[in-house]
Amino acid sequence: MSITSFNKASLPKKVILSGADCFHLVLDKHAKKHSAGGNVMRKIFYFNSALSYNKINDILKSSPVIYWLCNIKFVPGLLMKLPTWQYIDRNNEIILLEHHTVVEDGIPDNILNRDITIESTRFIEADLVHYPSGGCAFILSWNHILLDAKGTTLLFEHLNLLSENKPQSFDIFFPGKEKKTNIVTYIRNMYKVKKFVQTSSKPPVSSVACTSLKTGDGKTLTKVISFNVEETKKINANAFKTGSRFGPTLYLVACCTHVINFLNHQKNKAGDIWLPIPYDGRLRGAAGPLISNCVSFLFYRIPVNEMNTIPQTVKCLSTQMTAQIKDGIPQRYSMFLNMMRHMPLWLYYFLISRTGKGVFASFLYTSTGDNFNNLKSLFGEPIRNLNMIPALTFPPGLTFVFLKHDNELNINIAYSPDVINNNELHLIEEKIKEILLADY
Amino acid sequence: MDTNIIIAEIKKYIENNILAAGMQVDAATDLKQAGIDSFSTVEIILFIERKFGVSIPDEKLVPENFKTLQSLAAIVQELMPRA
Repeated sequence: MSITSFNKASLPKKVILSGADCFHLVLDKHAKKHSAGGNVMRKIFYFNSALSYNKINDILKSSPVIYWLCNIKFVPGLLMKLPTWQYIDRNNEIILLEHHTVVEDGIPDNILNRDITIESTRFIEADLVHYPSGGCAFILSWNHILLDAKGTTLLFEHLNLLSENKPQSFDIFFPGKEKKTNIVTYIRNMYKVKKFVQTSSKPPVSSVACTSLKTGDGKTLTKVISFNVEETKKINANAFKTGSRFGPTLYLVACCTHVINFLNHQKNKAGDIWLPIPYDGRLRGAAGPLISNCVSFLFYRIPVNEMNTIPQTVKCLSTQMTAQIKDGIPQRYSMFLNMMRHMPLWLYYFLISRTGKGVFASFLYTSTGDNFNNLKSLFGEPIRNLNMIPALTFPPGLTFVFLKHDNELNINIAYSPDVINNNELHLIEEKIKEILLADY
Repeated sequence: MDTNIIIAEIKKYIENNILAAGMQVDAATDLKQAGIDSFSTVEIILFIERKFGVSIPDEKLVPENFKTLQSLAAIVQELMPRA
């Protein structure tokens, strides 16, 4: 397998950023302003045996998508010109770095501290970490402006097909031409969405972070809470019992909400919780696009008096979800984000940060659903476990990631130590286990 | 209403609005396997309620009833007023 197995000239010369990509540009700016978090996401795959460096290196270098991600440059928008990724072939290949660590399943600090910014030469990085047991971890890191959660799933499916030498159509990996929308529809929609989001996020909203807080070194710490197959089964059953009828999402959101409400009570700042949750905008079953964020959001506001019991909170969330899907809020919000791309970044940032008076959300929640549940192997090797370190937006500086693999649920908590201290983290862990595994 | 007509209407909605181009489902296809997630299920429920003038009660909102087009059609038939 070699790099010449794809035609570099056929890679797209220019890709226009989607509305959601531009929203991530705003978050990038926000992270820099607060010198916290960042827009880097990392996916970690654990294996029981050592993987061959050369084999992985060859597979990664044979990917046209990865090559493209190593040879693009960000071109900001100007007046009516939209921001783009420009492909300039500099023969940059992905660099796979090898590490050895004595801490089993640990991730070396030099990986966690590495940032991938909008000015970086490569927008994707790979690391192979060897452990004393003979096992290893493969870590892929990328900037969220380029790939969303579903895009990542598609990327790993693409790498698996490459390792099996199976044919793939690369055209679908890159975003196609956008549908043109009538300006009147745009404006009418913009008014409706703006009104909806403003009402939903209207202050006062309680956040785990103090909005005026400026963090020190921008460190992102993580904590993983794992549940075995039996516990995961119980969590799914609890979800149904408490009214989360189609999958556990609303139950998991309700549990996180109760934990944060508990924490806010302790800090004497309990109040309504406001939470935007990503919604995959791709048609179901689609194999692309892989590049670009195709997400929209559903917005939930949970009043304090709806957080007495879990079934009550699930019902509150369910009613809001149904009403928003009925009103086409996710589609309308996508259109809104696409419209916002035309604004200068500073104005966009000003408008977004003003809406919630600096509170981007009470906390953040994301779930990969069943996307990785059935991903049994990577590069032809069986995966023992997998984790994800999300991009950490500050404030709030606390993100819960729910990830299922091999019918076992992992909750990855990414947090800023300036927002959550050790005692609070311990409380979160204790409380989340108690609520998720309670008898309803 | 004939079950086949109900199935055809729901199939048309799912293929035109939810699934990627070229993807098809038939009466017995496992909808979850075809990529239908919880949000899409809510969209399908809203379509059914709008199209057939029925309201699906809470106790009917169980995964078994949303497994295939066939099970969905059975629920619609059960809830539709008898002629």
